[in-house]
Amino acid sequence: MSLDFSPILQSWQFLLGGLGLTLGLAALTVLCSLVLGGAIGLARCYGPAWLRLPLVFYIDSMRSVPVLVVLVWTYFALPIVTGAVLPPFWAGLIALTAQIAAYMAEIVRAGVESVRPGQTRAALALGMSRAQAVRQVVLPQAVVRMLPAFGSILSIAIKDTAIASVIAVPEYLNRSQTLAGESFRPIEVYLTAMAVYFITLFPVTRTVDIAYARLAHLGRS
Amino acid sequence: MTRQNDEPDAHVVLAYRDVHKQFGDFVALAGVSMEVRKTEVVCLIGPSGSGKSTLLRCTNGLESIDGGEITLDGQVLPRHGRGMRAVRQRMGMVFQNFELFPHMTALANVASGPLTVLRLPRGEAEARASALLAKVGLADKAASYPSNLSGGQQQRVAIARALAMQPEVMLFDEPTSALDPETIGEVLNVMKALAEEGMTMLVVTHEMSFARRVADHVVVFERGTIIEQGPPAQIFDAPLVPRTRDFLSHLGWEG
Repeated sequence: MSLDFSPILQSWQFLLGGLGLTLGLAALTVLCSLVLGGAIGLARCYGPAWLRLPLVFYIDSMRSVPVLVVLVWTYFALPIVTGAVLPPFWAGLIALTAQIAAYMAEIVRAGVESVRPGQTRAALALGMSRAQAVRQVVLPQAVVRMLPAFGSILSIAIKDTAIASVIAVPEYLNRSQTLAGESFRPIEVYLTAMAVYFITLFPVTRTVDIAYARLAHLGRS
Repeated sequence: MTRQNDEPDAHVVLAYRDVHKQFGDFVALAGVSMEVRKTEVVCLIGPSGSGKSTLLRCTNGLESIDGGEITLDGQVLPRHGRGMRAVRQRMGMVFQNFELFPHMTALANVASGPLTVLRLPRGEAEARASALLAKVGLADKAASYPSNLSGGQQQRVAIARALAMQPEVMLFDEPTSALDPETIGEVLNVMKALAEEGMTMLVVTHEMSFARRVADHVVVFERGTIIEQGPPAQIFDAPLVPRTRDFLSHLGWEG
């Protein structure tokens, strides 16, 4: 068997466009999950008691349902129920955010809870309000402690964008499928896809690890 | 009962009247009454779990009390809520585990109260912090993070941090219990200097020689009650209550 990568070289702009969409979708997913997951995680730690049950229900259900199922529901079933048709990209963003935010919320909660209660007591003893204690003392340490888990969720978010290919979001994997079909060179196309995902993700996880190694002492109380 | 600051009109900073505190079924404080007068050093001693640290935490509202009252300068402390924050600013607290903020330099730790709580301008807060670091002998460690400081140095920074709020009274919760023996002395010296300046101090401690030398008044706790209180000479040399003598002899104290 001989490998022929020429179809990939010929269509590099087509693939690069797909990669751009992959990274765009990943960046938006991470951003939205960070905001939503952060809010949910903090609400679980500091919010009113009645809010906790629905939040736990949300987190647990998202962790128990495959992202593909959430995606299919968002794209195909939601329009039937609500009548609103979502463009594939936005359906993908919503489904991925709903999933990743649940994990993010757990990371935030674990990070906050890992900071010794004595730190909060020390802040309160100085006369800080509870909100000031959280903002100035607990969160900065929690963020440092979250970094390793955050690195994992970051790479998972980027990889999971590939699932959006099933609803025809023209991201990298979807374009690879198109190219593989047109060129009859699936092995070369998917080998390239593997390499592209690896080259994209490897620096991300490495960077987060290096950052953590440098900052870890700031979160050690 | 003789007391160095014994004039009847001696200013009472903190007064505890029949203070009760319970954690579930565990009675932590079963009716504690005592006073701390201005410029006095009061040491609380007694076995672990006897209620000393709980009394400190109740004093600045980190724990609420279930009965009785605590007054600061004659005003009854609020049980909780917004009023408690204003009260906490008038008391400095030093913890057994230092509880320095690890993401801040020594200077930023000391400046954090003035900056966040008093909302002083940064320059002013840092000037105050520098002066206090110098006072505890750590001017050269201003830029160090807690992870690069020894236990004794961390505790001295923590004392400076509490002093930065210019409190009327300092609460020390076993400040040397987590320290290596060779660094206990430097912390006790800072505390002694503070006492000599006239700071009012309430100290939970297992350092009997410190209590003997520095305290004006010693209070012995057992099972949530005060079994004896008096000047150090009485407590350490001629305790009135046999259980005080038992406690001290368990610690190897021989006068």
